[in-house]
Amino acid sequence: MSQHLGERLSALIDGELGHQERDRALGHLAGCDECRAEADELRKLKSRLRAMEQPAIPADLTMSLLRMAEPGEPLPPRPRPLPGAARPARTSGPRDGRPSSGPGRPGRKRGIARSRGVRYAAVGVVSAAVALGTLFVVGGIDTPTVTPPVQGVFYNDHFGTTGNNVVPLQPGTVRSTP
Amino acid sequence: MRTPAPAAAHRLSLTAGVVSAVVLLCLLVASPAHARPPVDPHENEDTALPLLRDAAAAARARSYSGVQFVTTWGRGQSSTSLVDISHTPGQGSVLTLPATGNRPGGRVHTGSGGGTVNGVMAAPSEAMLGILAVNYRVAQAGSGTVCGREARIVEVLRTNGTPAARFWIDSDSHLVLRREIIDARGRITHASAFIDLRVNPPGPASATAAGASAPGPLRPEALESVRARGWRFPGTLPGRLELFLAKDGSSAEGRYLHLGYSDGLSVVSVFVQPGSLDTAKLTGWREQRQGGHSVWVRDTPQQETVWESGGHVYTLLADAPADTVEGAIGALPHVDRPSLWDRLRRGLEKVVSWVNPFG
Repeated sequence: MSQHLGERLSALIDGELGHQERDRALGHLAGCDECRAEADELRKLKSRLRAMEQPAIPADLTMSLLRMAEPGEPLPPRPRPLPGAARPARTSGPRDGRPSSGPGRPGRKRGIARSRGVRYAAVGVVSAAVALGTLFVVGGIDTPTVTPPVQGVFYNDHFGTTGNNVVPLQPGTVRSTP
Repeated sequence: MRTPAPAAAHRLSLTAGVVSAVVLLCLLVASPAHARPPVDPHENEDTALPLLRDAAAAARARSYSGVQFVTTWGRGQSSTSLVDISHTPGQGSVLTLPATGNRPGGRVHTGSGGGTVNGVMAAPSEAMLGILAVNYRVAQAGSGTVCGREARIVEVLRTNGTPAARFWIDSDSHLVLRREIIDARGRITHASAFIDLRVNPPGPASATAAGASAPGPLRPEALESVRARGWRFPGTLPGRLELFLAKDGSSAEGRYLHLGYSDGLSVVSVFVQPGSLDTAKLTGWREQRQGGHSVWVRDTPQQETVWESGGHVYTLLADAPADTVEGAIGALPHVDRPSLWDRLRRGLEKVVSWVNPFG
């Protein structure tokens, strides 16, 4: 039996493997109970995570991110070759086996790749900030802010403890206490 | 013929003188006047406690008026006030204070007892006397004169024999004419005395006014009842301060708990409010470290102190020496605000508890 799929299992579940890699992984799964069980567990976990509500992203943030993006085709899936497999030749076409969209322009492609990396990083940072902010707000103490009424109520009570029940008043006034 | 008579007579008189001196010395040594005085069987008893009880009763029952000075030393500074006092049995006292630079003047009315402003009592209340008898020994210490009136001096002594307070009690009316509170280092921290006093003859209202009730030490079941409502506080504080009062109250800021601690001479009030301290509204207060904790203080005779701990705001007002106040602050709860990581961890735990179907 060939080597277990390892982290390529996650890529398989996410649909990130190319045609050839996916076929190899599926062939391995057919004969490996251990990897098949792990794949089932991964599917269940990811379906549960997808079922969770995601925090709403503010509209202005979404617009800012959209403005940062350059026009271009969707990002291709990142190939994860099997160990021992020959590294696919670097071509200008899509890596998932789809036909090339036209004559390649390497400089333009690298620029687009960098731009997409920046977008990924920005989205990651913003998502982390939203998550941490949510946790910070949720983790706060649910108590109101108060200002001690020292000069009025507390002083009256304090003098009451000395057996006097003093009621501080404004100058020139007199008040009876029970 | 020589006669030995003069020499013999001289020797005889010398011998008689020596013998007389010896006999006199023996008589002096054996004299009862030099015998060890008998041990006073009441040495360790509160022999003067009845005098303080009479003074407390007189402060409520007698009709009097006068002028009293009140001086308080606290947190390195002193405060002195002159107070006009007029007391009517059954109606209480009216106190008139002149305005000072940092405090408005005015009048206050006390419901009962011979109290004065600044928390200094003209006479100890019955509640204070009960705790005082437990913590101190009360003894007579001679006599003196205050504002032209004869007075008996009563000393309140610590277990090591050092004075903790002195009272000058009027021999005629039994009112307290002067009072001094002394800290453990022998320094006077509170002093009040009449500089003018007019005492009216006892009236018919005296009998009813003398029986004014006063709260006693808090019963254990009452203590547990308050704690069962979620309040957390110590039963005693350093300096022999015992909890004798715990009652709920409410104000525009919401509900609060009032705790009263006393050793019989000093009073420390602690107010507990649920919530977090709004420091932006603490005008005139300053933040400082005290006993290793961060607190907000205001320099007043009551040594006002405020801090936040564990979702509650604590306010302390005291008529007590500064070292007693410092010990009380250190013994009360001080829980720092949760750190960033604590808050994030608590938030994560809450979120997990929301999505956990088994939680």
